[in-house]
Amino acid sequence: MNIYMKTACAFAALAAGATIGGIGSAAAESGDYSTLPVDPNLLTDSQAYSAAPFDINPDGRPGVTAVYTHREGGTRTITTTILILPDDQAATAAVAGAAAEVANPQTKPAAVGTGGTMVSGTSPDGTESVTVLTFTQGNAATTIEFDGPINDPAPADLVVEFGQKQDTAIRDWQLT
Amino acid sequence: MRKIATALAVATLMAGPVLTAPSATAAQTANDTTTYTQPAPTPAEPKVQGLDCRGTTGNMGCGPGWFWRDGWRGWACYPC
Repeated sequence: MNIYMKTACAFAALAAGATIGGIGSAAAESGDYSTLPVDPNLLTDSQAYSAAPFDINPDGRPGVTAVYTHREGGTRTITTTILILPDDQAATAAVAGAAAEVANPQTKPAAVGTGGTMVSGTSPDGTESVTVLTFTQGNAATTIEFDGPINDPAPADLVVEFGQKQDTAIRDWQLT
Repeated sequence: MRKIATALAVATLMAGPVLTAPSATAAQTANDTTTYTQPAPTPAEPKVQGLDCRGTTGNMGCGPGWFWRDGWRGWACYPC
């Protein structure tokens, strides 16, 4: 009986340790970030945006940048950058200055991920509308920038909805 | 005798249409004092047709205050 008890306790301790320590994500460990970005056409009539080839590990940092351009003369773009950093603190620090170049910024919280923040304004030269959504999910730092005509900024509900879908995709990716 | 018969036949032919013609005043009564008045026309309620922001009545089912264009969500109804 004692042997069985000890064996059971040993397995339980191993299981708990693995759970607390975190079982490595296959996708995360493989460094396959190409499946992370969410296609904005999920929120449209399915044909509005076309994607440029993804930039894997932009500027040498682990992650991905995806640029989606609207078919209407390329006047609207959505740029998603997801960085996978060593820990949550690094992720939080990474998004801190992401909207620094937005002119005339108006900042408000967004119900997306952890610390979701939406900054709306214009480009520095005042020719475009710019909205930047930032949030983290664990060690993932995400910045989504919406550039559009000066008189047609990205709707806040679209920004939040898209951000929530991206947040869900990151969580799913972290669990796989 | 033949002349008399011919005259009767001609007279009958001439009088037939007159005797069988409907009278235009058959339905009238001599002392009809009823006053007929035409009902006053009811003024029509004003109809308000909302216009979209391009001055038309909307397209693709977009209601007033909305219009159809290719925007952030692709082709959809967008507010003015």
